Amino acid sequence: MDPSIRTAATGMMSQQRRIEVIANNLANVNTTAFKRSRAHFEDLLYQTIQGPGVGGAGLGTTDPVQVGRGTRLAAVQRVQGQGPMENTGRPLDLAIEGDGLFRVQLPDGSTAYTRDGSLSLSADGSLVTHGGYQLLPGILVPEDATGLMISRNGVVTVQMRSAADVIELGRIELARFANEPGLVALGENLYAETPASGQPIHGFAQDTGFGRIVQGHLEASNVEIVTEMVDMISALRAYEINSQAVKASEEMARTAASMVR
Amino acid sequence: MSTDPLRDAARALAYWERRQEVASHNVANSTTAGYKGQRVFAEVLAGMNAPALVVRDDMSDGPIMDTGRPLDVAVTGEGFLVVEAGGGELLRRGGSLSLDAAGVLVDGGGRPILGEDGVIVLPAGDIEIGRDGAIRVDGEEVARLRMERAAPADLRRVEAGLWVAGQREALPVEARALRQGALEESNVHPLQGMVEILDVQRNYAAIQKTVVMLDDVLDMTVNRIGRVG
Repeated sequence: MDPSIRTAATGMMSQQRRIEVIANNLANVNTTAFKRSRAHFEDLLYQTIQGPGVGGAGLGTTDPVQVGRGTRLAAVQRVQGQGPMENTGRPLDLAIEGDGLFRVQLPDGSTAYTRDGSLSLSADGSLVTHGGYQLLPGILVPEDATGLMISRNGVVTVQMRSAADVIELGRIELARFANEPGLVALGENLYAETPASGQPIHGFAQDTGFGRIVQGHLEASNVEIVTEMVDMISALRAYEINSQAVKASEEMARTAASMVR
Repeated sequence: MSTDPLRDAARALAYWERRQEVASHNVANSTTAGYKGQRVFAEVLAGMNAPALVVRDDMSDGPIMDTGRPLDVAVTGEGFLVVEAGGGELLRRGGSLSLDAAGVLVDGGGRPILGEDGVIVLPAGDIEIGRDGAIRVDGEEVARLRMERAAPADLRRVEAGLWVAGQREALPVEARALRQGALEESNVHPLQGMVEILDVQRNYAAIQKTVVMLDDVLDMTVNRIGRVG
């Protein structure tokens, strides 16, 4: 009976992990540019308890008997679908519609990536994320600039108070990856490259393979509450049934033990 | 008196224990995408009173769930995708595919999915997978998925949704039915699994009662019959 208890327990553990993933998705339903994750399961190794063979006279051939040993979490996969665009009207809010991530510099000099474009100006006038990390390449906005404009292809221009003409300050660079779900999440809406994601491919918005930058908008979380709730119900039910299987196996063990009086 | 009925009962108990193991495995995988349930049958062999265990695969299609993720692929008809694993080729029913760092199309375990020209490397762009397995990137066909089928009796399970088959043949294009942006759910219905577990438990208890009864009979035979006074 032990194997069946353990098998059902793997089912309970998997569903527990699934609930954790769902809970994190739900907690981030209002997180800018958050990408929902999804737990994936796979069946565990099969044990052949009786190989294929030929029986005695008149018995015919017998199929192998393979008994499985449960399930395991195969992956927690980030679903990179586009989140809805939210109009904020704030000139320093940027959303990417399509592929690509903003590049930011971490304090240790390494580069991180984000799709959260709620930018602000640092004390020295450079464009930084809301976490205070500098956008790459660095763009310095002069003190007496007004009317900051960021075009769809990432060119940053300002109007100066002193002069009538428009000055180009720089161009926001984006990065994309062969396998974007392979990026590791660092928290604060930041991601870092890994061997699984591959090397970043740099480019500008609206280049081939890159999306466009939309000023005055933020990309909302791609979590849909209804989907998560339905998943949660499914996980809960599956958890219950696996726990019933554990109980039934335990009951059978007790029944077996009660044969000896 | 012969003790054969006791032996038969022990064999029957072992049979129901196995059935419980299979039922547990099925419910544990009721949310595993692409999982095919196992069904246990009893086969009474000549000269044996207790059932012999026969495990068959229920190859019926699972419900198709739309995910909207471009690299989720469901096989909605017959057949399998071909996967390269450890130098050999294995089969799998669609799945949640992805691109690795080099742009190679792989399954959830990082095993390359094979196309008609071997390993599939996809450039960046909008990926479109046709019903017939043609993969187009930005409208241009770049590869075609290999699909094969095998007789159910030839299929053996490997872990992680993979199958190995002795005899396989290519699935003709007109028989292919792939669906992009969807996954095939497990074909185990949780309720069905629950009923199976209850069924096993009841039968197990009934046989246990029979053993107790046989034991009573033996007890009477050995200790009562022939006792004088």
